[in-house]
Amino acid sequence: MEMLTLKAEPRTPGGTRTARALREKGSLPAIIYGHHEPPEPVTLHEHEVEVAIGHGARTLQVELNGEVKQYLIKEVQYDHLGLAPIHIDLARVDMHERVRVKVAIELRGVPKGVAEGGILEQLLGEVEVECRVTDIPETLRPVVTDMELGHVLCVKDVQLPPGVVAVTPPEDRVAVVKALVEAPEAAAPAVEGEAAAAEPERIGRVRPEEPAEDEGQKAKKKE
Amino acid sequence: MALMPKRVKWRKSQRGKLRGYALRGNTVAFGEYGLQCLGTGWITGRQIEAGRVAANHFLHREGKVYVRIFPHKPVSAKPLETRMGKGKGDPEFWVACVKEGTVLYEIAGVEEEVARSALARVSHKMPFRCRFVRRRHGL
Repeated sequence: MEMLTLKAEPRTPGGTRTARALREKGSLPAIIYGHHEPPEPVTLHEHEVEVAIGHGARTLQVELNGEVKQYLIKEVQYDHLGLAPIHIDLARVDMHERVRVKVAIELRGVPKGVAEGGILEQLLGEVEVECRVTDIPETLRPVVTDMELGHVLCVKDVQLPPGVVAVTPPEDRVAVVKALVEAPEAAAPAVEGEAAAAEPERIGRVRPEEPAEDEGQKAKKKE
Repeated sequence: MALMPKRVKWRKSQRGKLRGYALRGNTVAFGEYGLQCLGTGWITGRQIEAGRVAANHFLHREGKVYVRIFPHKPVSAKPLETRMGKGKGDPEFWVACVKEGTVLYEIAGVEEEVARSALARVSHKMPFRCRFVRRRHGL
């Protein structure tokens, strides 16, 4: 895996406004924690982080106060549209330490069952694995070309690189080739009036309908 | 028939306000590609159903379409030529409240180009601008 060195600067922890101001300048607020040491709020260069993540980096070499250290990317938060990162969590790690990380699964190939009229459905997008920091795989790419209609790919069936152990239960389903079930189509389009009239059922205690005289009674009470 | 809940606790609801962005339901979770809403407001049950029909019609029974929103909110209206007062009108239609960033539809089991074309057709049925999004693998 490619190692990139990023320059970090210490920052004073602040609120939303401080973080927003940093982002406008092209910086990215980040936090470094772990190994029973106090957390350090820092700022990184947003573009550099985006490039590193785009290249599939799971660790970052960060230069902070003249010291270059390796950190594990724990979490990346994105904006509401999922376009730009807004915060990043970095964990202190030793290179020989075993860590638990979530690795994405990318299914490769077109299953035989799809030709028979089925559909490949991915049920699990990530698998939690335990491995050394240096051995973290970018993605897991199981080949699904042999899957027939009704076949299920479990976590235990996914081949892991040497030194990597799955933490996710082995019986968890990753993908399945399902037969397409046609959704029952409405026999006839509903009439406008009917659609409006149809109302859902009420839950709980429903008050009995008030008699027509109620309006008159209310007026009398007001007087 | 347009979408609506099967059972409700209350027949009518107040209008409410929609502030901010979608902080949940803003990522592709079930399929491989999705349609993300770029506006904030209401989407009626009919519009949701129209989008679903447009996607399924284009896909010709290929792939799978997931609808991520549901119209939980009743909107009431008064009949025409009625004087004001005399209480709140009857429920007229149902809407889903969506915020900017919400993923409305997802598609699985088809090529990207096919999904892109299908979701472009869906976006024409929506009352907001939408954008095509892919599932994020990894960080």
